[in-house]
Amino acid sequence: MLVHIDGPWSPLLGRLALSEIPYTNPILVGTFIFASLLAVVLVGLVSYLGLWRTLWRDWLTSVDHKKIGIMYILIGLVMLFRGFIDAVMMRTQQALAVGPHSPGYLNSLHGYLTPYHFGQIYTAHGTIMILFAATPLLVGIMNILVPLQIGARDMAYPYLNAVSLWLTAAGAALVMASLFVGNFAHAGWFGIVPVMELPYSPGVGVDYWMWAFQLSSIGTTLGGINLLATIVKMRAPGMTWGRLPIFTWASLSANLISLTTFPVLSVTLALLALDRYVGTHFYTAGLGGNLMLYNDLFWIWGHPEVYFVILPAFGMISEIIPTFSEKPLFGYLGMVLASLGIAGVSWGVWLHHFFTMAAAPAVNAFFSITTMAVGIPTGVKVFNWAFTMFRGRLRFELPMMWAVAALFFLLVGGLTGMMNAFATNDYMVHNSVFVVAHFHMMLLLIVYAIFGGVNYWFPKVFGFRLEQRFGKWFFWLFTAGTATVFIPMFALGFMGMTRRLDYVPFPQWGPFLDAEVVGIAIYVLSAVFLVAQLYVSFRDRAANRAGLDAWETSRSLEWMTHSPVPFYNFAVTPQVHARDERAWRVEHGVDGLRPERYEDIHMPRNTAVPLWLGALSFGLAFGLVWRIWWLVEVCSAAILALIVIRSFDHDTDYTIPAKDVERMERAIRDVPSGRRVSGDLPDGVPALREGL
Amino acid sequence: MTHTTDNAWQHPEVQLAGGGYVVAYVVGLALMGLALWLVRGHVGSPLDLGIAMAAIAAVAAIVQCVLLLHMNISETQIWHTVALVLFIPLFILALGLSSWMFHGLYRRTMMMTVPHAAAAPTQAAKTGG
Repeated sequence: MLVHIDGPWSPLLGRLALSEIPYTNPILVGTFIFASLLAVVLVGLVSYLGLWRTLWRDWLTSVDHKKIGIMYILIGLVMLFRGFIDAVMMRTQQALAVGPHSPGYLNSLHGYLTPYHFGQIYTAHGTIMILFAATPLLVGIMNILVPLQIGARDMAYPYLNAVSLWLTAAGAALVMASLFVGNFAHAGWFGIVPVMELPYSPGVGVDYWMWAFQLSSIGTTLGGINLLATIVKMRAPGMTWGRLPIFTWASLSANLISLTTFPVLSVTLALLALDRYVGTHFYTAGLGGNLMLYNDLFWIWGHPEVYFVILPAFGMISEIIPTFSEKPLFGYLGMVLASLGIAGVSWGVWLHHFFTMAAAPAVNAFFSITTMAVGIPTGVKVFNWAFTMFRGRLRFELPMMWAVAALFFLLVGGLTGMMNAFATNDYMVHNSVFVVAHFHMMLLLIVYAIFGGVNYWFPKVFGFRLEQRFGKWFFWLFTAGTATVFIPMFALGFMGMTRRLDYVPFPQWGPFLDAEVVGIAIYVLSAVFLVAQLYVSFRDRAANRAGLDAWETSRSLEWMTHSPVPFYNFAVTPQVHARDERAWRVEHGVDGLRPERYEDIHMPRNTAVPLWLGALSFGLAFGLVWRIWWLVEVCSAAILALIVIRSFDHDTDYTIPAKDVERMERAIRDVPSGRRVSGDLPDGVPALREGL
Repeated sequence: MTHTTDNAWQHPEVQLAGGGYVVAYVVGLALMGLALWLVRGHVGSPLDLGIAMAAIAAVAAIVQCVLLLHMNISETQIWHTVALVLFIPLFILALGLSSWMFHGLYRRTMMMTVPHAAAAPTQAAKTGG
């Protein structure tokens, strides 16, 4: 039944052997030493500061939506760094390998990366940036904000939330493991068919890619269900649909997409797994299979995924702009309908990813029109943002700078997107770096929105504002880097340069590629300022303490609780009176009111089960990659057993008595920089009062 | 968090379910087995098999909706059932547009059956010569 694999295989180690460890590659050895040193430093630091207990009790086993969100964001940042290093390597390789006389290093004919390694790098860059950087960053932000914006204590399913997190972490760990054990796929992040089939990729690279993708897909599907259930069922009294904060609407639309499309991805990858493991023929040419079936199924997920990541970004921009324009959002209803409209249209545009692959002209015309139709709700959003700013009292603090710059990238990315939407034009630019530059504009819009959102909500989560001087340096250098990389890339696209070149045959493209290297160097410099911003912010955190409302003109519900947010979110579940509840209360002079009495708070209890499920999923996927069948069997059995055992655990929640709530509230209010207040609570979680 | 009971047997939907879950599981397995047997035995032409697969999938979906998700038009469940309207646009878009694309695609790319057989000897003669 199992398909025959060429090469050695042993029952104990499967396909794994010493020769699969790339200890002869100096780049990977250097990376390994760097990663090991970093691990030693981190372990040493945690031991020195005596933080193991805190790490275990307050983070790894936590089901608190804010901490899960922060851990999602940390995974996203680590993977963003990894994906960025991949980008640096691609830029330098292309700049070095220009023309037949360009020198070669490290066994490479030109440049320093062989085609085999270059293929892995661009595949890893795409996979990581979409699935393990953008998605966790946005899911993390949604995780933190949605329950706060609707006045809930936690997510609808706190345990499931932790399971989603650790499945995503297992997927990210699998991608990282492929650096040092075996290799990664070289078939592009979306799987170039039939290159990702077993006869053309007999190694473990595609298996690594496939199972990491699968883990992240399952995690995101579960997370989507959780966020939807939270928004539908967990709203505070008075929070009608018409009063839902706009970021929550954006999250609702985004997770409608994730619920309806991520299962398609899971099935697509499962069919590929059947092809590669038991020899079915879903995606082969002949024997009943069909190459185009893979493209079709993959992009049925793939395009909606793009809107899944962009809708929360739009939501963050929609929250930042009114705050720093000191006006309510213009056209709330239009904004809501536009978000849902983008989610709806997203199901009907996927074929524009393969306009050139022999579809009938009428089919191409249909998908051209649907693709252009995306511009209508997006245009509504842009005009709403513009009218929000119109005659507002604009304050260009850091979040606003990132948000307004994001609009610029929406313009550039949107207009080039319209150019690509014409099937006729797409025949010219398909597979060129013009397309690469286009979708990087859209993804940079997301990155800008994320940096804006992080600067905006950081004081809410950690209790102090991020420092602005280094922050502005970071903003301007990051923007300069973007311009210097992507303007030449657009130009090269017009000149006909194709994607994924490990060797550049035309010397006249050289100067443009050199300019892109300068750009990537500016990016590296900007990262230094980001670190400086974070360091200085943390050092001066006492001076940058934020109150309830860090920006003085915030409007929505999350700004009504303490900064940092206590683990129970709101001492008393708020009664919602208006769309912009915080602004409404300030306007009516009732923002400073204290509750007459407190009530018991019902909270979910910590559990280590999700962490074990994540670790076992990693083991399962690793066993599948290397075809170590005993490991696969052990991990599958353990996962099933753990789920069954957990279903008999009835001690999953606890109640904080009203008098404890009152005592903690008084401590937070009366001792603003005070000591930890929850140390003596049964299973209490410190409320992040000390920043970190 | 609303305070609900931890004992799954006390949830109303579980109490009302009766043996539905087991029946759904057995029927689901039987339908999958039937589909696998039809495909492995190449029973019927590809078109017939495709239609049979679609029919079996439809029955499996209905079994899941009724026996696992307990969709019906009673007062408590009507909204869950009405939520199925989302299925209509998704069904039309995903399956309808895909079928439309493949229909055009086959006319353009899958012409090898008759012309290929006729062209093969000439090709061989050319390379031979």
